[in-house]
Amino acid sequence: MADRTAKVTWSGSLIEGGGRIESVGSGAFGPLDVTWDSRAEDSNGRTSPEELIAAAHASCFSMALSHGLAQAGTPADRLDTSATVTFVPGTGITKIALTVRGAVPGVDAASFAEAAQAAKEGCPVSKALAAVPEITLDAALS
Amino acid sequence: MPRIVREADIAWEGTLSRGAGVVRATSSGAFDLPVTIASRVAEPEGKTSPEELLAAAHATCFVTSLAGELAKAGTPPEHLSVHCTITMDEVEAIGHRIVSSALSARGTAPGADAASFAQAAEAADAGCPFSALIKASATVTVEATLEGGS
Repeated sequence: MADRTAKVTWSGSLIEGGGRIESVGSGAFGPLDVTWDSRAEDSNGRTSPEELIAAAHASCFSMALSHGLAQAGTPADRLDTSATVTFVPGTGITKIALTVRGAVPGVDAASFAEAAQAAKEGCPVSKALAAVPEITLDAALS
Repeated sequence: MPRIVREADIAWEGTLSRGAGVVRATSSGAFDLPVTIASRVAEPEGKTSPEELLAAAHATCFVTSLAGELAKAGTPPEHLSVHCTITMDEVEAIGHRIVSSALSARGTAPGADAASFAQAAEAADAGCPFSALIKASATVTVEATLEGGS
């Protein structure tokens, strides 16, 4: 069992106030400032829940794909994944688009696409976010 | 309402057990962080993980919702502090699953009492898009404490 933690503070109202991701359990990042404007308008260098979700999903997917390829006897040299999260205020998170380019010796395009599809379905973050209306995958060898 | 798009990238090299990745906040440039499988499932050793990023996302999503709900109730907050713990467990025959997200909120909001603060926290959980999503597959708990309230 793995517990992971984060602590966030907020001062003032939603629109005029602002928050800060003070720290995370690992100590890997923080403090990082967050504001409503930077979440809903231009980021201006500040992260947001949706960007953190994109980072979580891209990294979870990459680990699952790396594992799947190695199990199939064709370990990856390198995987480049991006996740794009679309958020509509008032509606919610409507879409996550995953794109992966892989350098994988000995694998053909069809097997790579199959492994990527399995990673998209099986990684723990995909399962946690299965209620997102649309999760797309674009997988190709580089 | 306009669509808001946020993007992150990761470059992963090597196998799962021996390889490593660097995850980057592409939209904002706010972070650039190493990840490994060992630091994800065992001791973090200073490295983040998908679950820690989700904990940060959920705490941030919830705190903004709570600030909004308190303002809506006419008792805008002075200061709020939210702690989020995401738990990943190994479920038999399924493998690793994110099983819960526990939120704990404390704060000061002049004019609010314990009951109205708890009500705002409940509404914040209902309104936070991340809570709505993760509830389909995991347990979300919310604990709210008003500090120095009347």
